[in-house]
Amino acid sequence: MGKSPPITNRVRELRETHGQMSQAALGDAIGVTRQTVIAIEQGRYSPSLESAFRIARIFGVGIEDVFGWDEAHP
Amino acid sequence: MSFREKSAWVMGALMVAAGLYYVDIALAASRGIGQATPPVSLFIPFTLLVVTVSVVVQAAMAILAPKAASAPADEREKPLLDRAGHWSGIVLGAGAATSLLRFVYQQDGILLFHMIMASLIVSQIAEYAFQIVLIRRNS
Repeated sequence: MGKSPPITNRVRELRETHGQMSQAALGDAIGVTRQTVIAIEQGRYSPSLESAFRIARIFGVGIEDVFGWDEAHP
Repeated sequence: MSFREKSAWVMGALMVAAGLYYVDIALAASRGIGQATPPVSLFIPFTLLVVTVSVVVQAAMAILAPKAASAPADEREKPLLDRAGHWSGIVLGAGAATSLLRFVYQQDGILLFHMIMASLIVSQIAEYAFQIVLIRRNS
């Protein structure tokens, strides 16, 4: 497995609070595969800026409410 | 397992089988005519068979998973597929360079054909292998 990026996210939490939206449905909505949504949620992949904005817009929040910088990271 | 990884496994297995079949018919033809390099014409049916089987297998996979099959690679998959293509290109280049060096020393055009053909098959297998490794490492 590759090195995890220093980005935290609340995608899973937001997905669950938005009517238990499935990973596949979120993937379809932003134009990525379910595997990519899984990788984002597990912090193994940082989405592009465009996808990050799309995710935030789907949940009706700001981008910094979804993604953050992991302060523990060097 | 993603559709792209499944596809790489299936097509990789198909290319390994095709490569082994190629070696088998090349050796059988060499023994038959008593020469080290069998004639190129023997491999036209081989190429047609491999292309036909590849199309049939891809079509069958697309029928089983039409949505995943028609979806283009997404932003996470694209760089992985590009990297796999880049590395398999190096494998092909190494095979072609080796084949050409051999041609310089041996001046055997038919052997050159077979070595280039083998390089194509090996680089295709390498591309699927790189795809599987990269997709697994990044998912």
